[in-house]
Amino acid sequence: MKISNKFLFAVFLTGFSIYLVFALNPEGASRILLNLLTFAGIYGLSAIGLNVHFGWTGLLNFGHASFMGVGAYVTLILMPHAAGREGEITSTGLPFIVALIIGILSAALFGLLLGLPAIRLRGDYLAIVTIAAAEIFRLLVRDLESITGGVYGIINYTENLQQYRPNFINNFSESLGFSPSQAWVCLVAWISILFTVLFLKRLNNSPWGRALRAVREDEDAVRAMGKNAVWLKLQSFMLGAGIAGLSGVLLAFNYGSLETTVFVPLLTFYVWAIMILGGVGTITGPIFGSIIFWVIISETDRLAFILFENANGQQLAGVRFLLVGLLIMALMIFRPSGLLGKKEELLLDVK
Amino acid sequence: MLDQLGNGLLLGIIISVASVALSLLYGVTRIVNFAHGEIIALGAIMTLFFSSPVDYRVLFLDKYSPLGYNFALSCILAVIVCGLFGALLEICLFRPLRKGNVGNIAVLVVTIGLSIFIRHLYLLFATGKVQDFPLELQRRQTYLFFDMTPRNLNVLIAGIVVMLIFGFLLTYTRLGKAMRAVRDSEELSSVSGINSDNIILITWISSSMLAGLAGIFQAIINDVRWNMGFLILLLIFAGTVLGGIGTSFGAMVGGFLIGILVQVSVGLPFMEGHTEAKNAVALAIMILILLFRPQGIFGQKERIS
Amino acid sequence: MSNSLIEVNNLKKTFGGLTAVDIKQLGFNKGQLTSIIGPNGAGKTTFFDLISGFQNSDSGDIHLKNKDISNFQPYKIARMGMVRTFQLTKVFDRMTVLENLLFSGSEISNDSLFKSVIKSKSQKKYEENLKDKAKNIMEELNILHMADSYARELSGGQKKLLELARSIINEPEILLLDEPLAGVNPKLAEDILLLIKKLSNEGITILMVEHNIEAVMKISERIVVLAEGSLIADGNPNEIRTDRNVIEAYLGKDND
Repeated sequence: MKISNKFLFAVFLTGFSIYLVFALNPEGASRILLNLLTFAGIYGLSAIGLNVHFGWTGLLNFGHASFMGVGAYVTLILMPHAAGREGEITSTGLPFIVALIIGILSAALFGLLLGLPAIRLRGDYLAIVTIAAAEIFRLLVRDLESITGGVYGIINYTENLQQYRPNFINNFSESLGFSPSQAWVCLVAWISILFTVLFLKRLNNSPWGRALRAVREDEDAVRAMGKNAVWLKLQSFMLGAGIAGLSGVLLAFNYGSLETTVFVPLLTFYVWAIMILGGVGTITGPIFGSIIFWVIISETDRLAFILFENANGQQLAGVRFLLVGLLIMALMIFRPSGLLGKKEELLLDVK
Repeated sequence: MLDQLGNGLLLGIIISVASVALSLLYGVTRIVNFAHGEIIALGAIMTLFFSSPVDYRVLFLDKYSPLGYNFALSCILAVIVCGLFGALLEICLFRPLRKGNVGNIAVLVVTIGLSIFIRHLYLLFATGKVQDFPLELQRRQTYLFFDMTPRNLNVLIAGIVVMLIFGFLLTYTRLGKAMRAVRDSEELSSVSGINSDNIILITWISSSMLAGLAGIFQAIINDVRWNMGFLILLLIFAGTVLGGIGTSFGAMVGGFLIGILVQVSVGLPFMEGHTEAKNAVALAIMILILLFRPQGIFGQKERIS
Repeated sequence: MSNSLIEVNNLKKTFGGLTAVDIKQLGFNKGQLTSIIGPNGAGKTTFFDLISGFQNSDSGDIHLKNKDISNFQPYKIARMGMVRTFQLTKVFDRMTVLENLLFSGSEISNDSLFKSVIKSKSQKKYEENLKDKAKNIMEELNILHMADSYARELSGGQKKLLELARSIINEPEILLLDEPLAGVNPKLAEDILLLIKKLSNEGITILMVEHNIEAVMKISERIVVLAEGSLIADGNPNEIRTDRNVIEAYLGKDND
């Protein structure tokens, strides 16, 4: 494989941003780095799924948070957990791996459902429908308190994953002062990324990947060639949603408790920012994009302290989001191909 | 159900005015403006800024505030500020993008970034708290079938009047006709001697002014929040889509329908105890409309696909 | 049932009161090269859209190989061996010329997600064969040197060629060509015309909408003339040349 300059630059920038974490945090840098890499892994995975939708197939999906949410909620509810105001305990449930698979399949199924409008709608309409469907999902989850715990959320489920934590993580974490459970989630997230990337690499140059790109370019021509564009779009929706579902499960395990405030539209926009930063239509781009993004996010708190004398939580969050918004705008205007995207394959002049 | 009708009409007028603004902008520029909600919030925040009385400070603007202007004057000033803001956006951001031949999808993503950016600027520099306009409390009264305060009734009437005037201008003036010409084809209209840049600028200004007005309505009826625009943005999309995107009259009716639907659905039997989910009903209806009649109630078929 | 390969009866399509197509009866025989001509707005492209399934008719029926395809999806019609091109050329802009051809030539079963994950030997072999096939076609059409260029970088005429190449890679029985010569330089137009003639000689049934009357007269075996959605003349080039209705439809318009 030829290594391009773009790739080297992305690696360099990622390395530099990790260095920055150490440079700016004389104390506790490794703990901060672990936290950041965990989030980067989970969000990166989600962005890889989004790239199947947007980068490969041209589907303007702004409901990505709901795919993550479906995966997370289905998986958690199927396992032993406690939910709701009273913390009602469900002590029986499926083993983690079975619940996870059902969760991912449910997310894919929800992708199919959400993909149905895509049969008839073009770009900007699809964006509105997907974001609205994600909102409906969120409102329903909030409302169905008896199942989802409503605004009180779900707790007491992390053991389902942590019971499989290998011993070396404990030893390793102890020596570096990590939280072993987060280190385990981080490892699982990055292993998931590895397998997802390998899987998608296989698909990228396959006839199926080619067909998706053809759908992205011109659906009418796809139909005229005797191909079922609708089915291809639905498949793309399912695959991307399944990947997002997996990342949603991991996000729930990283938080330790699941609340409805997690799967808001802003989560979708985060993932979009990561995808654009990494490179639309690329496979590995979101990985670099995600790490750099999270370094920016976690180090902006400093900026908040410069702007405000005693920044409170709201102000810290405000500054972060301010930067996310700016990042999305600036990238889209000045470097829409992101770190690794190909200029020739940009979706810029799509009308 | 009927007692919710008054609330429905009030939510309806907010969404209706905002939908007309959104639809106008989309019609002429083809931009799906996710930052529309932020212009709505600007109207409310600016009114608060101009009108705040002595014992009332707008966070972070307290160097200038309180100005304590008369409320009506404050509203007018706020609407003007919104118009100027719209002009600023068009000249500094969207015109260069248009000249650079950036596609609609890229512009849509830009408006999302813009929306997040501006919204959190409000959070940081304007008002992180929920606030009210300095207006005296009023008692609800019954008009025909519905209950509302006299002030809210005035808001309702004012909104309808503004939209009627606006519709009249759009249909019968030279400028309105030019706008519709640009909407139908930018290239064609530039051939026929219409300066489409100016028309689009005026569209941005008028759309933003209307949005600002919707924000003032929302603030009078409810309150001022930094994310007030984003909270109703999807309902505005729903209203626009329901009436038929790109048609002003459709957006007006669609906005009212959505507002009434949201509030009346609270009274439906299966919604008992699920009032939080009332927006979900409106959004679900929007999705169904897009699936089965994507041109909306009043739209023409060829606009889609 | 008649012996026609394609046959339409009482086909009607209106757009908000405007009649786009209104044809009582029209059939096309196997192996024939038929041109459909007519003034602008005569409904030629709409007619193509109707028989290829891209638009649904208001009433009437369409038969392909004696099978009613009136409400068929476009891809199903294409799979029955009738492939079309578009007036505004539709190539896959951000894919290479080779990829354009590979996608179009690949069978549905070869495109499956499952097979693409497994990457079986048979699929690899199929792809190899497909590549050879694509290369042959590119060579024949003189676009082999652009195999790895993105389709968006091609000139208008080359895009028309690519679209044509894409349409014939699966050896269709029927080709619907919508203005294959529009916007093509005279030299290239000559080549395309020869190619069409050659395809016709190979036995492919061709229906062609074209404005270049000279070219139409030269290669068509039969010409169908539409005006305002209706059939006004039907015959061989010589008959059409002298048909009064046709002259009126064309010249009458010019004189106004």
